[in-house]
Amino acid sequence: MQRMYSKKVYILIFLLPALILFCGVLIAPIGASAYYSLFNWNGLGAKVFIGLKNYKELFTSNAIGFMKALRNSLLLAGLSVFLQLPLALGLALTLGKRVKGERLFLSVYFMPVLISTVVIGQLWLKIYNPDYGILNVFLRSIGLENWTRIWLGTKKTALGAVFVPTLWQYVGYHMLLLYAGVKSVPPELREAAMLDGATDGQVNRYIVLPYIKPIIRISVIFAVTGSLKSFDLIYVLTNGGPLHSTEVPSTLMINMLFLRNRYGMGSAIAVLLIVLCFGFALLISAIFREEK
Amino acid sequence: MRNNSKAARVVIYIGLVLWMLVNLFPVYWMFTFSLKSNPEIFGENVIGLPKEWLWSNYSSALKTGNMARYFLNSTIVAVATILITLGVALMATFALTRLIWKRRKTLNKFFMLGLTIPIHASIVPVYVTLSRLHMLNTYWALIIPYSAFSLSMAILVCTGFMNEIPRDLDESACIDGCSVWGIFFKIICPMMKPAVATVGIYTFLQCWNELMFANIFISKSALRTLPVGVQALSGQYTTEWGPIGAALVLATFPTLFIYIFLSKKIQESFIAGAIKG
Amino acid sequence: MKKIVSLALALCMVLALVVIANKPAAAAEETVLKLWCIATESDANRPAYLQAIADYEAANPGIKIELEAFENESYKTKIKAAMMGGDTEDLPDIFFSWSAMLSTTTYEGKHFGVPTTFNIVALYANMDLLAEVGYDHVPETYEELTACCDALLAKGIIPFGCAGKETWCVTEYLEPIIIKTIGYEALNKIFAGEATWNDPDIAGAVTTFQEMINKGYFDPAGAALGNDETKANFLAGKTAFYQNGSWNTGEVANASFKSGVGLFPVMNADRSSYYQTIGGPSDVLAVCATSKNVDAAAKAAVELGKEICHYNYLNAVGMPAWIPYYDTSSLSPLMVDIAGLVGKCEGLVLFGDTAMAADPAQTYLSYVALVYGGEIDGPGFVAGLTNDLG
Repeated sequence: MQRMYSKKVYILIFLLPALILFCGVLIAPIGASAYYSLFNWNGLGAKVFIGLKNYKELFTSNAIGFMKALRNSLLLAGLSVFLQLPLALGLALTLGKRVKGERLFLSVYFMPVLISTVVIGQLWLKIYNPDYGILNVFLRSIGLENWTRIWLGTKKTALGAVFVPTLWQYVGYHMLLLYAGVKSVPPELREAAMLDGATDGQVNRYIVLPYIKPIIRISVIFAVTGSLKSFDLIYVLTNGGPLHSTEVPSTLMINMLFLRNRYGMGSAIAVLLIVLCFGFALLISAIFREEK
Repeated sequence: MRNNSKAARVVIYIGLVLWMLVNLFPVYWMFTFSLKSNPEIFGENVIGLPKEWLWSNYSSALKTGNMARYFLNSTIVAVATILITLGVALMATFALTRLIWKRRKTLNKFFMLGLTIPIHASIVPVYVTLSRLHMLNTYWALIIPYSAFSLSMAILVCTGFMNEIPRDLDESACIDGCSVWGIFFKIICPMMKPAVATVGIYTFLQCWNELMFANIFISKSALRTLPVGVQALSGQYTTEWGPIGAALVLATFPTLFIYIFLSKKIQESFIAGAIKG
Repeated sequence: MKKIVSLALALCMVLALVVIANKPAAAAEETVLKLWCIATESDANRPAYLQAIADYEAANPGIKIELEAFENESYKTKIKAAMMGGDTEDLPDIFFSWSAMLSTTTYEGKHFGVPTTFNIVALYANMDLLAEVGYDHVPETYEELTACCDALLAKGIIPFGCAGKETWCVTEYLEPIIIKTIGYEALNKIFAGEATWNDPDIAGAVTTFQEMINKGYFDPAGAALGNDETKANFLAGKTAFYQNGSWNTGEVANASFKSGVGLFPVMNADRSSYYQTIGGPSDVLAVCATSKNVDAAAKAAVELGKEICHYNYLNAVGMPAWIPYYDTSSLSPLMVDIAGLVGKCEGLVLFGDTAMAADPAQTYLSYVALVYGGEIDGPGFVAGLTNDLG
């Protein structure tokens, strides 16, 4: 079998479709973007080669605000790892213990993932509406009149207001992943620990968590790269406003590509995003390996 | 649960039910919104039940919006994408886990790069390529990019599953005179069934609600997918939101029903997929 | 009416971006022309497009117009991607465009555009609310306007609503103030890039705008709202005024209250006058330079442009940029009022974001957003734009 499995022809045939698809649709455009990012180009007329000036401008220009956008998305990534994931993990651990109605809870918690971002965005616009939005109406009804805000219209609150639905929507996604992990813990391990008198918390801490570490790692990677790439909800809720306070790299990129006609600059942002995402994925993997 | 006191259990339950309500709310909101008039949607009655149940919103969404056609298009694109992704990913995974060669670890990492690429970054280059291949305004214009973007996840999931299949099976099949193709199709593929559902749902999530590609690569209204079709219901100067809500319900509820109907299967295969992935 | 027409026609000449390729006509039996636009099923422009196409096809056998409509925001990305891709197969023969976009999509200098609507910025008023504070007409001087706003505020009525989420809505307030301060000739030069923003009177206009905001004339909730929501507030009687493009006339005329319309009052009578305003034929049908049937497409664009214009006028979603063809006696009184305002126009400046090229337009819009957010003052606005746009 060794010999049969080592034949170059088979390796090539089995890999070819994936390689064509992958390189043609994903890798080649990155190459194209990297190339265009070295030019000052509006997408139509003549290209002017400017070397790394686009990148330099990105990191130095306050007018573009790339650093701020980057900070915002890193903050989102942090919140995603330290807020969204623990919540998802908590739900997964609770449901993994055969709670009554486990299946129903699981199904419902996953629903927001299935609903399109446009719907989720419209819903939260209504929740945050300064006049009739549920949030302000609720605050008024319990007498906290002066806590009411123009959530999406004030620089101070907009970022937080945009993050809440972004984090909320994917709790179910991570929960299902982690739940799957929790369920895969062999019951013998659990029972043995219980017999030794371990509490629920101890079982989770010493049996379950170490067992599902690979899944937690995947979850963390998805949470971080997903945050860096996040676009849809922010686009619907604020489109980067008010006054660029909720700008993230993706919204900047679309702005450059399609509103400002700065194709070269848009490509530079795309390249940086990819580098960042990949860098973080490697970093997270390394951290998890380290801990082993 | 035996260590928990009754009080603690009640608290946990209350928490779970509250979180359930938070997650059910969008569904409720979308449904009632689809039966309201503009003034009700914009302020008069945002979260209550509609004062007057405007079922006519649905007929106008169906009539003017051609939702049935869009639904069909979305289904065709999703099914084809899932099939292609699965086929390609299974083959690649076979090469990455079974076949013996030097750089397969490196190539695996290379494929994982796909998990990190933002879909919006590649719009224009992909558009240019598709137009050179004369594939714009066909289902392929969506199926191929969607498959490519789902591929990394699919390989990730499949790798886990395939590593679990004992190598002795290959060995004995080989001794019985099976070719590589025979092993792949007769031994490996049938055992990968649980992976199908996992890959299927990931791929489905990736392509069902996608808007950017669908908008730019398809110009013929007969080939539009649901998200674009729903968007096309809103106009520049006048926008009646009721029918848009109805269209959103028509676009979302079938998925929700299918999900609820299949949830047990989906969850099981997720469980299987997660451990191995 | 004659004045509108002559004015409009003159503008078309100036703006309508001529130059046609001199190609021999293709002798095809049936010519199919693809037309892309944003007149989706629920858009107020849709009926006008359908009627115009039906008319045109009836009058020109052998030519078929294939209409494809896209949603507004996604259309912008779509058309740009198509242009960047440079694919002749997917591009339409005729496409809807905003004047600004056209200037950036000129291909080898060949472009041909026909205006489809003519709009000005109008100050709509809820006359029922104004009556409560003793006004029976839309205020015509700035003193009158501020007095009216103060009176409204005293009664707990918010004078204006302005959608901060869509910066073009803010320009619908700021630009009229600027034109009423520095006059249309000066503003035109600035938008065209022939003069800089460095004009102390502009700083004054911005300060006026911010004073109005600080006095509470604008609904603070507007900062988080889109245009649909702000308009809904006005139509529901929450705000007394709504200043926006005249394409809203049909909707305002159908509101449950008595409506009135006027223009923003003069701020500096030395440089400007009441009948100077922001407006023009901002929407155009453009012929694609790569079309295989450029001649047929150009002819069709001209005819369709006129017809769409006409039907839009009848449907009360736009002012005509061309001579209306038929009887127009069925118009609503509000539409007639707007037509009257347009007829008396003494100077027009195109909407800023459509008059400028894409990149400067975005820079300009971000400064307008800063003004509305109170981040910079008048002098800061002028200094910033002078610095960034030269």
